[in-house]
Amino acid sequence: MAAVLELRGLTRRFGTLTALDNLTFSVPSGQVVGFLGPNGAGKTTTMRAVFGLLDLDEGEVLWNGSQVRQEERRRFGYMPEERGLYPSMLVGEQLEYLGRLHGMSASDAAAASTYWLDRLGIADRATSRVDALSHGNQQRVQLAAALVHGPELIILDEPLAGLDPTGIDAIGAVLAELARSGCGVLFSSHQLDQVEDLCETVTIIDHGRLVVTGSVDDLAMGGESRLVVRVEDDREAAWARNLPGVTVSEIAAGAVRLVLADSTDSQAVLRAAERAGVVTEFRFERRRLSEVFREALS
Amino acid sequence: MKFLLFVILVAALLAVRIVRRRRAGGTTVATTAHGPSAARQYFETTFGDIGLVAAREVRERTRGRIYRVGTLLMLAVVAAAIVIPTLNKKASTTPRVGVVGSLAPPLRAAVISAGSEIHVTVHLVTESGLASAEKDLRAGRLDVVVDGERIILSQAITASDTSTIAEFARNLSEGLSTLATIAAAHLSPAQTSALAHPIAVPITGLTAATTKGAAQGTSIIGLILLFVLLSQYSAWILLGVAEEKSSRVVEVLLATVTAIHLLAGKVIGIGAAALAQASVIVIFALLLAKAVGSDVLQGTAPVELASSLLWLVLGYAFYCWVYAAAGSLAERQDQLQSLTFPLSIPMLVGYIVSITAASSGNASLFFKVLAYLPPTAPFAMPVLVGLGQATWWEFLGAAMISVVSTVCVARFAAGIYRRAILRTGRRVKLREVLRATS
Repeated sequence: MAAVLELRGLTRRFGTLTALDNLTFSVPSGQVVGFLGPNGAGKTTTMRAVFGLLDLDEGEVLWNGSQVRQEERRRFGYMPEERGLYPSMLVGEQLEYLGRLHGMSASDAAAASTYWLDRLGIADRATSRVDALSHGNQQRVQLAAALVHGPELIILDEPLAGLDPTGIDAIGAVLAELARSGCGVLFSSHQLDQVEDLCETVTIIDHGRLVVTGSVDDLAMGGESRLVVRVEDDREAAWARNLPGVTVSEIAAGAVRLVLADSTDSQAVLRAAERAGVVTEFRFERRRLSEVFREALS
Repeated sequence: MKFLLFVILVAALLAVRIVRRRRAGGTTVATTAHGPSAARQYFETTFGDIGLVAAREVRERTRGRIYRVGTLLMLAVVAAAIVIPTLNKKASTTPRVGVVGSLAPPLRAAVISAGSEIHVTVHLVTESGLASAEKDLRAGRLDVVVDGERIILSQAITASDTSTIAEFARNLSEGLSTLATIAAAHLSPAQTSALAHPIAVPITGLTAATTKGAAQGTSIIGLILLFVLLSQYSAWILLGVAEEKSSRVVEVLLATVTAIHLLAGKVIGIGAAALAQASVIVIFALLLAKAVGSDVLQGTAPVELASSLLWLVLGYAFYCWVYAAAGSLAERQDQLQSLTFPLSIPMLVGYIVSITAASSGNASLFFKVLAYLPPTAPFAMPVLVGLGQATWWEFLGAAMISVVSTVCVARFAAGIYRRAILRTGRRVKLREVLRATS
């Protein structure tokens, strides 16, 4: 059975503010799960709850059906939103130390530290102090710190923040590789295009409550069907205007975007287009994740 | 000294055992949650985490420039305190005495006797005349000139002058006066000889003699060292906790280890580095004092040395938790001073009152009470021991009170630390932490 992290009914109140409100979702192994929500939605609080960094008023965190304890958390990796490393400690020694705190032997920790520094392209900085590194390289060391012990689940809070496109690609490639090797990955980000590219599943929360969760494909194809049709030499799309259950959303660059009602037969639309001329493009259009996000929070 | 070696040996054995257990554990994460293996795993995990955190603290602390330079600086200060008085003493240990005219045996005996009374050897020089003797005195080749019944120094002395030459001159004055009196009495040679070699009358006491003076000196030196070291080690804890919080690394650490293990490892690690530094300083001081023949540490009985070291450990154990809690409340380094000022008051009071008591040699009732209060006991109790005014059971009682108080303070401080260390964005108020659940 694939390992899974389950968050069940998490509730946490800070005075009169309810940061988490009966929040329930799961992170299966081998998947990259995007954790989305506006600022203050409760993402960081949720992640902290997984690592026992705050007490929950209600709810439980389960790993493979059992309550998560300290020894399970040792097999998780964590990259907090506010990066945390000893500024004056050497990079390699710092990674070895963190690996050993996760239960590795000294030799395994040293080997893993070397591997990840090499994998992330900063092998030459192993003997540098952390505070001597650039922001991007510190970010890489932080990621290596979360990965050095070979975690079964990794949770990253805004891992892409402040990175240039090359850095984003490098970290994205590592996360995808981890998921392929069977590791569960949960990460939060406001960069929705990157989330859409990296994730198979997304979970969106707001005010500590679950708004929507599901596969990126299902969410992109969910809601109203959108059809893009291009008829040769037709700039007006007059043929589409009186079709039942069809609304013309936009005409741009010779193509018309149509929104279909649930009962509308797309083949009837195709036949109507063919009657108007030669159809050079006919396809359903996916919703961008940013649209899903905005709709979910509207 | 034996006690110190014993403490170091025990610490080393514990460290080796922890490392061995850790290595034996390797990367294995046991899946059994019940029975003896679960208990063993808990034990190994707990002590493994604390050992790892402590080892990092020792490594980083001893590697740091502040530690090395600080140790060297303190060694230099201690060396100066031991060697400089020795140099001054050596310059005056052999008064050069010029005697004008013949050096009769009674006169020689009187001069040597004047030196031996203050434990110095006298170098005698026969001068042909007063003019040449005064010339040598002015040139610094002589310290004292004896011309018949006159004693001449390069500079007159006052009644309050306690230098070696002054003491020697006074003794010599009495000796020459006695010789003159004997000569004036026209006694027989046998009577003169009898008077020149009096048999001392025995002096006895109702209780045995003590080395109070030396012990007083040792107490003051020990006190200064205790205060400097305790202040420094408390600051290490404070800054260490504040650094982990301000750099946010604590969130990464607490995702893996518990707050109490992290704090315990920090306290033990910094404590080990501190004890190593203190041990180096004490051993250096003892060896140097012996090598240069200093009497600064003369009379330092092993029990007094052990007492000071034990109270350094107890004092550190008490204050480190309090300072750790204070460090966890700060958001920035500049907030630390205002947070720690109230904590430094009992330390300062204990130090000042103890210095006063050690200097005067009197321990008031108030001072004796301070010797039982954990915040001031690290300073007051070693002074009581130095003054010989504490029995073994009083010493043990004060130590027990300190240990029990430390356990209570540690529990309270660990609670504050656990609740405050992850609260970022602004300085955490103690009231908020005490009300909070997590």
